[in-house]
Order: sequence, then structure tokens, then C-alpha cells
Amino acid sequence: MKFLPDQVVARLQTEMQTPDLSGTRYRPLKFLAHGGMGTVWLVQDSILNRLVALKILAAENSSANLAARLMQEAVVLAGLEHPGIVPVHDAGTLPDGRTFYCMKYVEGQTLDQYVSQLALRQRLLLFQRIAEPLAFAHSRGIIHRDLKPTNIMVGAFGEVLIMDWGLAKVMGTTGLSSEGKEVSGHVMGAIGLSSIAKHASRHEFTRAVQDPLKSGALVPENTLATTAHGTILGTPGYMAPEQERGDVTLIDQRTDVFALGSILHYLSREQSGVPNQRASRPLQAICNKSMAWEMSARYPSVQELATNVGKYLDDMPVSAYRENIFERTARLVSRNRVAVVLVLAYLFMRLLFILFPRR
Amino acid sequence: MPPNPQGDAFPLTRHSVVAAAQGPDPADRIRAMDAITSSYWRPVYKYVRLRWRVEREDAEDFTQEFFFRLLEKDFLSSYDPAKGKLRTFLRTCIDRLFMNQARDAHRQKRGEAAIHVSLDFEEAEQELAASMQTGSAEDYFEKEWVRTLFALAVERLRTQCLAAGKATQCTLFERYDLGDEDARPPYAALAEEFHLALTDVTNYLAFARREFRRCVLAQLRDMTGSNEEFHREAKSLLGVEPK
Amino acid sequence: MSNKIVLGLVLGGILGILDGLTAWFTPEVRKDMMSIVFSSMLKGLLAGVLIGVFARKVNSLTLGIVFGLSVGLLLAFLVARFAVHDHYFAIMLPGAMVGLIVGYATQKYGVSSQLQRA
Repeated sequence: MKFLPDQVVARLQTEMQTPDLSGTRYRPLKFLAHGGMGTVWLVQDSILNRLVALKILAAENSSANLAARLMQEAVVLAGLEHPGIVPVHDAGTLPDGRTFYCMKYVEGQTLDQYVSQLALRQRLLLFQRIAEPLAFAHSRGIIHRDLKPTNIMVGAFGEVLIMDWGLAKVMGTTGLSSEGKEVSGHVMGAIGLSSIAKHASRHEFTRAVQDPLKSGALVPENTLATTAHGTILGTPGYMAPEQERGDVTLIDQRTDVFALGSILHYLSREQSGVPNQRASRPLQAICNKSMAWEMSARYPSVQELATNVGKYLDDMPVSAYRENIFERTARLVSRNRVAVVLVLAYLFMRLLFILFPRR
Repeated sequence: MPPNPQGDAFPLTRHSVVAAAQGPDPADRIRAMDAITSSYWRPVYKYVRLRWRVEREDAEDFTQEFFFRLLEKDFLSSYDPAKGKLRTFLRTCIDRLFMNQARDAHRQKRGEAAIHVSLDFEEAEQELAASMQTGSAEDYFEKEWVRTLFALAVERLRTQCLAAGKATQCTLFERYDLGDEDARPPYAALAEEFHLALTDVTNYLAFARREFRRCVLAQLRDMTGSNEEFHREAKSLLGVEPK
Repeated sequence: MSNKIVLGLVLGGILGILDGLTAWFTPEVRKDMMSIVFSSMLKGLLAGVLIGVFARKVNSLTLGIVFGLSVGLLLAFLVARFAVHDHYFAIMLPGAMVGLIVGYATQKYGVSSQLQRA
């Protein structure tokens, strides 16, 4: 057996970790992150001369099912063209057989890093910008299912991007069958599976298309995670109860409302970690409503949640919190501080003239 | 003819070579044990030399004794993948056996006939001298484990390339990727030496590296105790930044 | 939120009435209460209209306050000079305050005509 010196072993380890991009337009630069299914690399696009990020299926995850999942993630992302959703530029198969897709390289910080020095008001304004792309995705029938501060990036110019749609779910539509088959066929073709594997995988997708309501079966074809009933996908602390139970058939945009509420709760804590109890009761009420156990008790949409946060920012009453007379008065006074001071000053002046009349 | 554990002779299951070694079929068990022996005897030998500061002959005897007991005394039956890595378990067994033997002042000289794998201790001794020994003996064992993994993967690659009629690809890989940093020939020099176009050198190396990655993964399966351990180690070796 | 001129009118009128009513605390003028209240209301209405028109033309809180203060002060001076002939301070200071309040309110709470049309 050939003896490998230490430097050769180290070099081989580095080479093993670097993706094989030979024959592609990409040149590897550095490792960025490790995700659930694979790794993300910063690469140079040699044709367009720009930095992009490649999400590559891990070598040990090279099953047809996972390859299809990654590709479908790319397909769905490609259909969500919004400034707040990371755009996909390319997808395919690397020379070593691994599936990949290429997306915008986001230079910035994750939400938890970015907000650490921000005041509450700035955090809440940022929160409203998170809701926008999410509302757009929901309008296209896509549920993110894994919202958390580390999956939200804030760019160098304050732009917000929602990342990592690997667990996203596509809601069923009336055009279920045809859309489902088209996606399946496209996905299989895109990743160039062998005919046998392609046939087997398409059967899996087709079965789900034809039996969308069958409990225990694969969730309707357009579920990226191809989640079987009872499978738990998500991140503890941000997972809605229906996610924790693995009740995939119940998942809809209110699942994301829950996660968004958790993020709002995270953002509303003071920097010291101790919340300002007196000032944030309406805000806490918004968080509580978003994170209600029962789906029907939550805000029906992220727009509704964002609107209420906007009202809170504008010192307006929020639907989740019933003010008493004193709180309402205090809020009105707070909103109209200057006018109140002026009127009080006028009345005080009048009182002085009454008490100390000039002779 | 002794089986070639690095080749495709051993039909590994998706689970692990350990599972095969613990299985009911005696032939499978022997082949699985040979795979484990081939993968681990070098790190074991070097570890014992370093950790317990024993003479070469004693280390040779101990290494053979260890793998004999691994097979005959069924050490692996007490291995639980949920509790840790296979190599950690083996290292613990090494230490325990050594201490027991030292206490009992009893060490049998095992003949090589008890083990089917060829143990070239001379070569191992030279490797020990050539490698840098920094850190603890445990760290060294880990390092040797990685070294053996890659070295056996190179052996697999060579076997596969020769069988597929791609000897040039393998040779180029060994000349370029396994060469000393200072003495690595440029692509142009390799192209001239092998009478190839420059693009061919690039393509051949790319092919060899892709195949080498597959060989590393296949070898890794032989050296891990469970699917979970395999995935963890693969992520560590192939998927994330170096520790 | 209402039209700036209307807001100026209403606020100026109310504050003018309030101003007039405080004359009750001055016994020597109590007999002229009705005329005082009425003229004070008129003064307030006039100030309110002028300030409201200004607010419609100029969308600036600072300028609105300054204009209101000035109008209130001027109208109060005219009343003190030509109607009362005395109590300049007691009339002008409240008048200025009324102008300031109306100036602030029309800028802050008045809706511009463009928004109304929209």
C-alpha cells in the first residue's frame, strides 16, 4: 500500500471537500455552509464573471429521491421571482453525478446577527420586510415551513432575503394532476436519472398525484419534502404544533404565521434579553395570537400579521389586544404628545390669568 | 486466494461491515473481519508502538493477537454504534487488552495463519518513522485512520482503473495528486510525458478524482460501524470545512 | 382627519369661544360677556381660516406653527389696540397660543385637498 505523507493527506482532504466543477462554468472559491441535504459553496461564474452560490447534494446523499428533492426545491424557487426571495440562476448535475443548483450569493448577515444592535422599532420595521416575500410565496401556494432567524439574510444595503426553501411545501391546486406530472417529468429529466430510476421515481410522484387525500401516503406530489404523514420537519422553537405532530395535511400559510410570530417574539426581546413588560403588551398579544395552538386562532395570513405590527408601530390599536380606558388614553396622549402639551399649556396659562389677574 | 477487501469482492450491505461481522454467516463474518483488519491493522500497530512504547516485535505480536481475538472472541458483539464510533471502540479494546496482558504478563505469539490479511510490519514501521507524531496518541490514531482510509481508497482506485482499462488516468492521479507539493509536475509536463493533449490531462485527472471520491466513500463504509457513523464521517471528510 | 380649512375654522372657533368665556373671571367685563364671546369666536374663526388656507398651500409643520403664532398674535394685538385699548399681554398671549395650536393642528391633522380628492 502506498504511504501517503501528511501533506498529501491534507491535500486530498481539501480536494475531497471541494466540489468537482470541472467541465462546468463554475470555479470553486470557498465553502459557505452545510445544509440538511448538502453543502453550499461560493463559486465564480466564469461566463458572467460574478460570484454565485452553489447548493450541492452531499456525496453520501446521492439517492434519486434526495436528488429529486433538491431539484424540485430549485424549480419552485425559480418560480418565486421576488426581491425578497433568493433567486435561482441554474440547476443540473455535476460531473461527479451530484445534483446542484446555483443561486444568488447573498453577502450580509443572518437576521439574528443583524438585529443584535438594533432598537426595537428598527427590528419591527425589518420584520415587516420579512413578511412581504413570504406573502408572495403564499400567494403562489408555497409554504416555507422552516422560517427562523438563521434562514433570513439581511444584505449589505438592508435588503431582506428569505433563504433555504428545502422544506417548502407546495399547496394543492385544482390543476393538481397535470402540474404534478409536469413537475415530476421535468425534475427527472433535469437530473438525468437512468431510465429505471426515473421510472421508479416518477411512479412515486404519480401515485401521490392520484391519491392526494390518502392519509399516510406521500403528501400531494407538490410537497418538496415528500413528507409521509407523521414525519416531523422543521426547527424546534419555530415549528407550529401541527408540524411538531407531523400532521402534514393541516399545514398551510398559518404554519408560517406561527414561525413568523416566533421570529417576532425573538425580535421583540430587549437587547438585555428582558422584555419591557409594560410597553410591549400589545406586541406580546400579537406574538401570542400568531403562535396560538389552534390554527383558527392565529392570524389568517402573514399580511394580517404584518399589518398589525404596522399598527403597533404607528401607535394604533391592534386587533389582538383589548385596551382598557387608561391604556387607550395613554396611547392617544402618546400619539398626540405635542398637541396635548400645547392645549395643556394654553389651559395652564388661562388658569394663571384667572388666578392672578392684572389690575 | 485471500479476498481483496479493497476491491469489490466483498458485497457490503448498506448497513455496515460491522453488521456483516456480527452476522450469522461464517464466510461473511470472515470476509468482514478481513475488511476490518485490512483497514485498521496499521493504525493499531502504530498506535500501540506510540501509546505503550513497546518494541517492534511486541507490537507485531500484539497487533496479531488483537485481530485474532477480534475474530475469535467476538469483541464486536459488544459494539453499539449508538454509543460511539467504531474506531473509538477499537481503540478502547486495544487499551483494555494491552493492560490486561501487561497485568497478566501473558502474551501469546500468534501465527499469521490466524489472520488472512497480509500484515507488512516492515512497511508500517517505515511509515511510522516517516510520519509526524504530534499531539496525543489518540489524535495520532485518528490521523492514521484518515491516512489509511485514503491509502486504501487509492488501492481501490488503482484496482478499478486497471480493470476498466484506465491505467493512465490512475497514473496521472498518483503523479499529480499524490506527489510532493514541491515536485508536482505541471499539466504541460505530464501531457508531454504521456503524449496527451493538455485537455486530456485535465479530463483524465477530473475522472480520476471523481472515481477517487467514490472509492473513499466505499472504503469509508468498510471502516465505519453504522450508517449514521458513515454519514457523519462523510460529512466531516467530504462535506464541511476541515476541523 | 378633515380638510385643513374646516379644521382651522372649527378649532379656531372653539378656542375663540373658550377664550371669550374666560372673560367671566374678570368681573368688570362680565356684563359684556356675550359680545366678548362672540367677537372672540369671530377672531378665532378668522385666524382659523387664514391658518387653514396657509396650511393648504404650505405643507410644513414649522412654517405652519410660525404662521399660526403670527396670525394669532396680530389679531389679538388688533383687538387689544382698537377694541379694548388695554390688557395687551392678557389678550395677545392667549391669542398667540390659539394661533400656535391651530397652526400645529392644521399641519398635523389636516388632510390636504389632493388626498381628499383621491
